[in-house]
Amino acid sequence: MRLIYRMALRLSLALIPLIAIWAAVFYFTVADQINDEADDSLEDYSELIMIRVLGNRQLPPLNDGSNNSYSITPVSAEYANEHPDIEYYDAEVYIPEKRETEPARIMTTIFQDSEGRFYELKVSTPTFEKDDLQKAILSLIVALYLLLLPIIIGLTVGIYNQSLKPLYALLNWLDGYKPGKSHTPVPNDTDIKEFNKLNVAAQKAVERSEQFHERQKQFIGNASHELQTPLAVLGNRMEWMLNSMNLNEEQMGEIMKMKRTLSSIVRLNKTLLLLTKIENNQFPDSNRFDIVPMIEEQKELYDEIYAHKELDCRVTLPTKFEVTMNDSLASVLLDNLIKNAYIHTADKGSIAITLENGTLKVSNDGVAPLDGEHIFDRFYRNSGKEGSTGLGLALVKAVTECYSLDLRYEFKEKRHVFSVTLPENETKEN
Amino acid sequence: MATFAYMKILIIEDEPSLRELMTRTLTSERHIVETAATFSEAEMKLADYKYDCILLDIMLPDGNGLKLLEQIKHSDGGNSVIIISARDSLEDKVAGLEQGADDYLAKPFHLMELSARIKSVARRMRGGQRCLTVGNVRLDPESNRVFVNDTEVALLRKEFDILAYFMQRPNHMIDKTALAEAVWGDHIDSVDNFHFVYAQMKNLRHKLTSAGASIEIKSVYGFGYKLVSEE
Repeated sequence: MRLIYRMALRLSLALIPLIAIWAAVFYFTVADQINDEADDSLEDYSELIMIRVLGNRQLPPLNDGSNNSYSITPVSAEYANEHPDIEYYDAEVYIPEKRETEPARIMTTIFQDSEGRFYELKVSTPTFEKDDLQKAILSLIVALYLLLLPIIIGLTVGIYNQSLKPLYALLNWLDGYKPGKSHTPVPNDTDIKEFNKLNVAAQKAVERSEQFHERQKQFIGNASHELQTPLAVLGNRMEWMLNSMNLNEEQMGEIMKMKRTLSSIVRLNKTLLLLTKIENNQFPDSNRFDIVPMIEEQKELYDEIYAHKELDCRVTLPTKFEVTMNDSLASVLLDNLIKNAYIHTADKGSIAITLENGTLKVSNDGVAPLDGEHIFDRFYRNSGKEGSTGLGLALVKAVTECYSLDLRYEFKEKRHVFSVTLPENETKEN
Repeated sequence: MATFAYMKILIIEDEPSLRELMTRTLTSERHIVETAATFSEAEMKLADYKYDCILLDIMLPDGNGLKLLEQIKHSDGGNSVIIISARDSLEDKVAGLEQGADDYLAKPFHLMELSARIKSVARRMRGGQRCLTVGNVRLDPESNRVFVNDTEVALLRKEFDILAYFMQRPNHMIDKTALAEAVWGDHIDSVDNFHFVYAQMKNLRHKLTSAGASIEIKSVYGFGYKLVSEE
């Protein structure tokens, strides 16, 4: 989920209780205010009536057009004691003029005349309809919410986008970043302190990782390089022993085995050097050539070497397919892909090599899918076959990365399928 | 056995172990060998003596071998120089050959490779062809042809490569895996069945015998072969 969506959602949710609370407070404040006003006028009214009653003057008419009404009831002393002197409350009152009941504010007062008799005076004035007010407030609140929501979210999105531009610039940059590949420095044209810090930190982290990557590459390169001569010396000494000393069969056999082990170390070392060279782009020159004969040649070679496995290798190739790349790298790519299929197919299995629509596919029989995530990693091995360097597919990967080719592994219908899109694009453009 | 002149060779190489092995190999082939471990030592020896062949390491602790090559070529054009370089970079090779080096050997190399190169230098110095001869078999690496008593034997590509490999290493124990790697290249790195070698070997042996060759590729125990001459 994008940050801005989450923020918008949270804002809209947070607005709901806030606006509801505000509506309640608003409602009660308004009601209070109205009651207060009504109470004041009731007080004046009842005072007027009481003065007239006590002074035995004429009472005001019951309907003076103001919808106010009053009633005076004599009450007992006990009743007067039991009830408070002044009391306000809301009630529905029947208004004869209108012939309907209306909500009214009512004030009751208990008073005594000069002869000690108790009276209860009840005055009422029509007041507002609570339901109406509540409904009005509710609909206004909903309207307010609906109005505020787009404004707030719009503002937030606008401000968010504007303020977080540097963050998105950084994220974009990080998306395009590949360790070990050339890249522009982290964009940092912001005067906001936090982003500035973040960009500087990102730049430093990238530089560190670049340095580390570079050092690691150098280390592997140097180590393999330094190993070459001692390994050759060792091999040559064994050679010397084999040819210049009169050894018996057992001794010779042991030395032969040592030599074989040594030659697998030498091969591993050579492959590591090759891998380092490819990763360092030490095969810069490309030329244009037909790759079909190269594939056929490799296929024939492996047919010969693996003749004992009786594999069925089917080839579907166009008559000609020109690519533009370094021919040594092309050879490394094809060799390792094809060799991989020959090595890992069970006896009497089948292999298919096809080149269609610019995609080379090498597929072979398999039992279970391989770990597509790691299959192209160095030294990732499934079979643990002796003598295999575990670098073949890493070489394939390195070559495809060199030319930004698409390399995929799939397991389909009980077959391992490796596919590479070959760099033939120039034909189309020209 | 092939006959060729024994040469006076100067090995300029800073790596002691390699220097020792090179000396031992070439001495056993009855060449006269002198060594120099540094640029200055080499300079001194070159000033004082004349050598038929110089094995020159490009990377020396106290100087660049290419400079030495320049001096050698300026002073006297009569000797052959084989450049040895740990940096198997193309630039070194090109620069070396441009400056008049006769051959280039990338480190690490097999000593048999070295002795084959020396033999070829010796043959060229005598104005001869680059042919390899063992017994009555002559192999021309340039035209890829093989003759037994001057009669050409038609060999297939792989058979020729195998024979060439053995003829460069007469009387040497050759491991079948080393042979396979030399002829089939790195393609064989995961192979555990060497049937393809046996098949080619069988055909080659048959062709050699029917042509009346005086050499034979013998199996040695279970693990290798040796080219022996019946002379």
